[in-house]
Amino acid sequence: MSQLSRRELLRLSGLSLASGLVLAACGKQEGIIDDGAIARLGEAPSTTALAEAEVTDQVLLRTAASLEYNAIDTYTAALGLGVFTGNLAGATEVAKRFRDDHQAHADAVNGLVRALGGKEHRCANVQINDLYINPALALITDDKNPNIGMDVVALAHALENLAAQTYQGVVELISDPKLRADAIRIGQQESRHAALLAQVLNPGIAAMGPTFDATTGKPNIAAIPMAFGSQANIQLIVGAPKADGTRTTLLLETPSLNSLVYDTVSC
Amino acid sequence: MLSETDITLLVAAQSLELAAQDIYEVVVSQKSKSDDEQALLVLMHSHHAAYGQTLNGVLSKRAATRRNEEAYTKFFAMLADKSKLWSTLLELENTAVATHTAIIERLSSAKNAALLASITTVEARHAAMLATLISTDLDLALENLAQALVTQ
Repeated sequence: MSQLSRRELLRLSGLSLASGLVLAACGKQEGIIDDGAIARLGEAPSTTALAEAEVTDQVLLRTAASLEYNAIDTYTAALGLGVFTGNLAGATEVAKRFRDDHQAHADAVNGLVRALGGKEHRCANVQINDLYINPALALITDDKNPNIGMDVVALAHALENLAAQTYQGVVELISDPKLRADAIRIGQQESRHAALLAQVLNPGIAAMGPTFDATTGKPNIAAIPMAFGSQANIQLIVGAPKADGTRTTLLLETPSLNSLVYDTVSC
Repeated sequence: MLSETDITLLVAAQSLELAAQDIYEVVVSQKSKSDDEQALLVLMHSHHAAYGQTLNGVLSKRAATRRNEEAYTKFFAMLADKSKLWSTLLELENTAVATHTAIIERLSSAKNAALLASITTVEARHAAMLATLISTDLDLALENLAQALVTQ
């Protein structure tokens, strides 16, 4: 006969009690009708399912074209704000050049879409505008924001990274090897844009590679932040400082299934 | 399973990275630059070493065992003119970008094309930064006129 100490007996009885409570909670209860629903708190909003659509090379390229128009529109808006003054006076010519580059990219990508028998896409991605660019611009142009010019550069930097990541990401999804190369050629130039803008935000040779904020320990913006092109989300910190001194962080992600420009999407 | 063509192409990419790694090793060992510039060179050297190692892992037993000697000799000779250090490295980076892109165009493996794509976006950043150490000309930082070392 096994010998159980008083402590062991108490532990076992506690376990039995806990197991019983769990089983009772999982079991059917008297007077309750089981409607098969998952237990939840509050009301979940209804959702609209995406229409059935195939992600083809055309769709991926049309999506890339839409991002080019997001960039074109953002640079146009930035130039219209008239904030590139003082230390940022040189940014006007850079912004014009980058906008022209994006127009050339859009034309090139739409040429590829046409060659595939698809319909070109000549406007910005609505989801990207709604999720990221419009909220960012609202924060940036807030009357209380003391750093509008630099925040515009930060937004441009984030969008260049977003574009570069998008082109890099589609390489694995595109079926035609030649189109993969065409896509990444543009992605490479977006990366160059991003690197140059990173130097405006955090200048100097010492800041080209990864560095960290001495106070927060967080990574600073860098022209060459890592060895391989990232596919992680992109942090954009903009707007007026809040009461605790921090500013709003937006997280940008490359287009996903709900922001691709399918064949049925038009401007 | 990689096709023979893909293996040949990835070996070409890896051997170019080995050459780039060795060129940076020469430059880093010279210690002729400021501390910040030296740190940048060490960073770029470490990136090319990482690319070579990653491709070595992809190719496994079929990996390149030697650097691209033609590329190494060309860029090593260019380094003889010390005033052209940054422009030599700029051309090296742009050549790597052009070569890997030409390889992407011929690779059947989408996964390895994506790997090379992720390398080229950073080598393009290297090039842009090296260009800013030479001149304020945006074209120099943004355009890549280098020829690929594999035929397209």
